[in-house]
Amino acid sequence: MKRMLALVLVVAVAQTAAPALAQDTLEKIKSTGALTIGTRTGSPPFAYVNKDNQWVGFSIDLVEMLIKPEVEKAVGKSIKVEKKESTPPTRIPLLSSNAVDLIAGTMTDTPQRRESVDFSLTFFYTGAQFMVKKGSPIKSVNDIAGKRIASQQGSTNAKILREKYPQAQLREFPDQPAAFQALLQGQVDAYTNDGIQLYGLKAKAPKPDDWDVVGDFYSEEPYGMAMRKGDAKFKAAVDAGLKSGLESGKYFEIYDKWFGPKGELPYPMTPQVRAYLLKQIGK
Amino acid sequence: MNYTFNWSVLWSGQSGQWLLQGLITTLQLSALAWVLAVALGILAGALRTVPLAPLRWGATSYVEFFRNVPLLVWMFFWYFGVPPLLPRGAQDWLFSHGLEFWAGTIALGVYHGARMSEVIRSGIGAIPRTQFEASLAMGLTTFQAYRLVILPVALRLIVPPGTNESLNLLKNSSVALTISVAELTFQTRQIETYTAKAIEALTAGTLIYLALCLSIATIMARVERHYAIPGLISRTTAG
Repeated sequence: MKRMLALVLVVAVAQTAAPALAQDTLEKIKSTGALTIGTRTGSPPFAYVNKDNQWVGFSIDLVEMLIKPEVEKAVGKSIKVEKKESTPPTRIPLLSSNAVDLIAGTMTDTPQRRESVDFSLTFFYTGAQFMVKKGSPIKSVNDIAGKRIASQQGSTNAKILREKYPQAQLREFPDQPAAFQALLQGQVDAYTNDGIQLYGLKAKAPKPDDWDVVGDFYSEEPYGMAMRKGDAKFKAAVDAGLKSGLESGKYFEIYDKWFGPKGELPYPMTPQVRAYLLKQIGK
Repeated sequence: MNYTFNWSVLWSGQSGQWLLQGLITTLQLSALAWVLAVALGILAGALRTVPLAPLRWGATSYVEFFRNVPLLVWMFFWYFGVPPLLPRGAQDWLFSHGLEFWAGTIALGVYHGARMSEVIRSGIGAIPRTQFEASLAMGLTTFQAYRLVILPVALRLIVPPGTNESLNLLKNSSVALTISVAELTFQTRQIETYTAKAIEALTAGTLIYLALCLSIATIMARVERHYAIPGLISRTTAG
C-alpha cells in the first residue's frame, strides 16, 4: 500500500510540475537559438535520410524555406533548425514534453488530435489506398473482407478499417519497412497507408512493376504541422510562413522539387488539391 | 498550459476492453513462452554440466547463439525469416492461423530459454560435486541422479534469479508488438491513437505491468519459502 501511495504521489507531482515547465515557444526558440522539429527518417519524400546520409524532404524544406524566416522575424534573430525523429506514437508526447516545437512529417490533422495539439494550415492532402501485388483480387476497400491487411500502428487508416471494415484481418506494424516486408513475403494480402506514401514505397521497391496502388481514397488525410496547444503567437508565425509560401508561389516550387516530373517522386497535384490548399488563404 | 490530463479516456469508449484484451494476450504469450523457456532452460542448463562433451557443446552453442542476439532480431527472424523456408502450403496455413502470436511465443521462449539455462547451470554449479558422486555410488544412473537429486535441489536454489528472469520475460513480451501482436503495450498505443492522450495510456500500461510483476514476485517469494530445504539456503542457516 505504501508503494501505491508513493506512486500516486509521483504522478501527482509530475502533473503539477508540468505546467511550470511550459513556456512560450517563441521565447524558447529565442533563448536556445533553435527551432526543434520532430520529423521522420523513413517517409520519402516528406522526410527521410537520403543516399548521401542527409536528412531531407518536402516537409523539412517547408520548415527551412517558409517557416524559419517567419519565426526569425518573430524572435528578431537568426535561428537554426534542429531535427529529431518522431513516430506516430511518440510525436504528441515529444511536443508535450517540450522536446520538439513542431511536428513536420506526415501527420494527419484530425478532430481528436486537435483536442491535444494545434495544427498549422494544411500543407499536403492525400487519402488512404492499398498496395497489392499485381493481379491481386483486392481492387478497393470493398474487397478486403477476410483478407489480411497490414497498416501502420497509430495511423488514422488502421482506425478507420477497424471501425468500418471489421471483417478485414488487420495486422499493425510499428513502421513502414516492416509492413512492406510482410506484404513482400505474403504474410499479408495488402498494405494500406496514405496514397502518396504507397507511391513513394512502390518507387523504392526492388521491382516497382510488381506492385499496384489501388482503390479510391477511403479516408481524407490532410497533413498539418502540429504544435503545442494554445500557443497563438507561435502558431501565427508557422501559419504566416505557409501562407506567404502559398501566396508567392514558393510553396509550389518546393512541391515541384519533390513531386514534379523530375522530383524524387513524380506526383502531379490535382486541381482539387490545389484549390483546397489555396482556399485556406482565401483564394 | 500545454497538456490537459483527461484520465476518463481510460474507462470511456473501448479503452477498458482494449486494455483487458491486451492484458490477456500478454499473459497468454508470456505463459506459453515461459513454459518453453523453462523447459529449454532446464534441458540446456543440465546438459551443460553433464560429463559427456558433445552434449555440453550442443547446449553451449544454443545458449551463446540465442542469448547474444537482440530479442527484436529474433522476433523478425521467426516472423519474417522462417516462413520462406517452409513449403508454400504450410506458409499459407501459418499466415491465416495467427503466425504473429506463435512467432512471438517462440522468439520469446527460445531467447529466454537460453538465458534461463544459465541461471539453472549456476544452480547446478552451486551443488557440491560430491552429491553427484554419492548419487552414482548409490547405483543411480546419470539421468536418475539429475532427475532425482541434482535438479530438484538446483531448482530450489535458483528461485530468486529465476523470478528475475521470469519478470524480464513478461516485460519483454512487449517487443512482440513489432510483429503485430496486439499485447498490452500495443493496446496502450491504440488508446493513444484514438484519444491522442499518450500520457494517460502509458500510465495505465505502466501500472498494469507493475501490478503483474509485483504479484508474480510475491507468489514466487511464497514458492521459495514453501519449498526451501531447511539448512540448505544460507539465509536460514546464518540467522
